[in-house]
Amino acid sequence: MGFTLKVEGSTTIELGTTSITGVKVRTDIPQDSNARSTDLGSTVVVTGKILTAVDGDPFDGTKQLGLWALVPAENSDCYRKVTVEVIAASQVVRKYTYPNAFVVDYKETYGDVEGIGTFTLILKQKKDKMAQVTVEGGYSVG
Amino acid sequence: MGVRLSIEGSESVRLKETSITGIRFGADIPHDSNARSTDLGSTVWIEGKILAAVNGEAADDTSKLAKWSLVAAEKADCYRKVQIDVVSASQIVRQITIPNAFVVDYEEDFTDETGAGTFRLLLKQKKDKMAGLKFEGGFSGE
Repeated sequence: MGFTLKVEGSTTIELGTTSITGVKVRTDIPQDSNARSTDLGSTVVVTGKILTAVDGDPFDGTKQLGLWALVPAENSDCYRKVTVEVIAASQVVRKYTYPNAFVVDYKETYGDVEGIGTFTLILKQKKDKMAQVTVEGGYSVG
Repeated sequence: MGVRLSIEGSESVRLKETSITGIRFGADIPHDSNARSTDLGSTVWIEGKILAAVNGEAADDTSKLAKWSLVAAEKADCYRKVQIDVVSASQIVRQITIPNAFVVDYEEDFTDETGAGTFRLLLKQKKDKMAGLKFEGGFSGE
């Protein structure tokens, strides 16, 4: 099972199956409601590896994720278009599109026993733009 | 013991024992009441696998669950009819029918170590329609 992450804004960040290790998507709804609530949100958690470039390869896009997490709210560039694909057995199991995603948490961890670092990125769709979130999937990789 | 899920609304969702791994049914009643409370609700939690289609078969219906969780409260389609069958030894141990169910939580989880993703869906019956909930079982099926 592999994942791709694409972030489109002032710069385009692309991370592929070699770096992303997990994706969690949840729909946030108040659990104490007696009927369907209008308070609807969506959160994506992406975890992955921070790989070191070898043999003259370009560095991976994880540094750009860190820079995106630091963009102030006053700057329109803090909202970016995010596409996450889940691929297994030549099938696109899921394709999530968040056209106005913003970062709510970004963490990088490094230790002296691993050869790589790890990152955790938590994204949300701007709550008033929830209608633009799309979930697709169940078709062959084109 | 197998669990089958069927959801009827603007589109129908069918998930079988190959994808559903567990359900929990609960009646929500205030614990601090001195006599039987009229404040009665019901919550169903369903957990299962997100399977990738192989051999050209159709993709499973889990992406429809993700789309349902994102339906806005303003649309009638956010309430759907849910039927859960718990089947064991050709007997329907439980048949729970929730005629006006809505989503209060939905989560999908994928990692690079497993071939299948997992989903968790939390449903409630619309509280003023609790009388419509059917809790049956103990008859032969198949």
